[in-house]
Amino acid sequence: MGSMGMLMGRIIARTMRLSLDREELMKNLYRMGVLSMPIVIVTALFTGGIMVIQAAPLVTRLQAYGLLGWGAGFGILREIAPLLTALMINGRVGANNTAELGTMVVTEQVDGLRALAIDPIGFLIAPRFIAIVVTLFLVTIFADILALVGAAYVGEWMLGVSPLTFFNGLTSGLLGVGDIVSGLIKATLYGVVIGLSSCHFGLAVRGGAPGVGKAVNATVVASAAGVFVLDYLVSFTL
Amino acid sequence: MSQDHAIEDEVTPPPPTGAVARLGEEALTFVQTGRELYGIFIRTLYFCVRGRREPGSIAFYMHEVGNKSVFFLSVVMGFIGMIMVYQGGVQNLRILPDLSLMGASFLELLIRDLAASIGALMLATRVGAGIAAEIGSMVVTEQVDALRMSAADPVDYLVKPRFIASLVMTICLCIWGAAVSTITGTLTAYVYFDLNPMTFLNLTLVDAADLGTGLVKCVAYGAAIPIVSGHAGLATHGGSEGVGRATTRAVVNSSLAVIFLNLVISAVSYLLFPG
Repeated sequence: MGSMGMLMGRIIARTMRLSLDREELMKNLYRMGVLSMPIVIVTALFTGGIMVIQAAPLVTRLQAYGLLGWGAGFGILREIAPLLTALMINGRVGANNTAELGTMVVTEQVDGLRALAIDPIGFLIAPRFIAIVVTLFLVTIFADILALVGAAYVGEWMLGVSPLTFFNGLTSGLLGVGDIVSGLIKATLYGVVIGLSSCHFGLAVRGGAPGVGKAVNATVVASAAGVFVLDYLVSFTL
Repeated sequence: MSQDHAIEDEVTPPPPTGAVARLGEEALTFVQTGRELYGIFIRTLYFCVRGRREPGSIAFYMHEVGNKSVFFLSVVMGFIGMIMVYQGGVQNLRILPDLSLMGASFLELLIRDLAASIGALMLATRVGAGIAAEIGSMVVTEQVDALRMSAADPVDYLVKPRFIASLVMTICLCIWGAAVSTITGTLTAYVYFDLNPMTFLNLTLVDAADLGTGLVKCVAYGAAIPIVSGHAGLATHGGSEGVGRATTRAVVNSSLAVIFLNLVISAVSYLLFPG
C-alpha cells in the first residue's frame, strides 16, 4: 500500500511536469484501448443479455414489461457495465502490463534505462498508468451502450418486449444523468486501481520467468479485490 | 533467374491484410482453439478415470485452489452482498415504498446466478492466472518436455489434479461465497433500511430450479477454468515474456468462458423453468 502510494505520487509529479513520453502514451493507448475492443464488445453484449434473463422471472411475475428497460438500464449503467469492463480490462491489460514490466525488470532493461539517464517512471510507468485510466473511462462508455443494445434485443427474443418499449422504459425519467456519471466515476477509479497495482507489481518482480507469473497472479487478484472494495465505497458516497 | 523465383515462392506468404482475411484468420484460430480445448477436456476426463491415482497431489491443489482463495473470495462476495442490497434498496424506494420482498428477490438472484458467476469470475482471475503461470513456467524451463520424454502425459500430471481440485473447490467456494453475501446483505438491510433479518431471510422465491441452476453453473465453471487456463499454460512459448502472455490469455479466456457459459445456462434454465 505504502509503495503504491509513493508510486502514485511520483506518477502525478511526472504528469504535472509534463515529463512523460508522448509517443509511448499514444502507443499504449492504442494497444490497451483499441486492441481490447473485441473482448469488451463480447462481454458487454453477453452481460446485457444475462441481465435481462435474470430479470425475466421477476418481470413476467409482475407483468411489468415497461419497467424492464429501467431495471436493466439501472443495473447496467450503475454497476454491471463498469464492473465487468474493469474485470476484463484487469485480465487483459493489467495482467499484460505487469508481464511486460516484469519481463523488462527481469531482463535488466529497466536498469538499462536508468544507466542511460532515462527516468523509468516518466518513460514507462506514467504513460501506461494514464493510458489505463483513459482506456477504462472510454471503454466503459462504449460498454454501456453495447450492453443496453444487447439487453434490448435479448428482451425482444426471450420476453417479446420490443426494443422501443425497452428504450422508453430507459428514458422515462426514472434514470438520470447521475446514474451514468456515477458509473463513469467508478470506471475512472477502477482504472487508477488497476494501473497502480499492475505497475507496482510489475516493477517489484524478482526471479526470472516464475517470478513474472507470480507477479501477474498477484496483480489480477489485488486489482479485482480493490475494484470491489472501491465499488462499495463509491456506491455509498454517491 | 528462374531459380531465384522458385526460392522466393517458397518464402512464407506475408500475413493476410484486409478485413475479410483477418476475420477468416481469427475464425480459424477460434475453431482451432476450440478443438484443442475439447481435446484437453476429453483427455482430462479420460485420465480422471484411467490415469494415475495420486490423492496427495489432488489434496495439495485443493489447498492451493480452495483454502488460499477463501479470504479473497470472502472479501469480494461480502462487498457484493452489501452493494447489491444497498443499490437494490435505493432503487426499490424510488418506485415502491415497500421493501419486504427485497430479501426474497436478493436471495433468489444470489442463488440462481450471482454466487456462482461472480465467485467464478474471481476464481478465473486467481486460479486461472495461477495455473497458467505455474504450467507456463514449467514449459519455459523445459520441465514439461522432460515429462513427455519420460512418457508421462502432461495432461495427466499437470492438468488432471488441478481439474479435480477446481471442480470440487469451486462448488465449495461458491456455497461459502453465497453464505458470506447473505450475511453482509442481511446486515446492510438491517443497518440502512431497518429491515428485520427475519423479513429479509425469506426463501419463498427460491425453488429447486434456482438451486439446480446455481449448482450446474458451479460445476460448469469449475470444469471450464482449469481446462482453459491449462491450455493457455501448455501453449506457452518464449521465455518470461511468454509466461506473462500465457497468464493474460488464461485470465481473459477463462473469464470469457464464464460469461459465455452463464449466458447459455441462464437461457436454457429460463426456457426450461419459466417464472
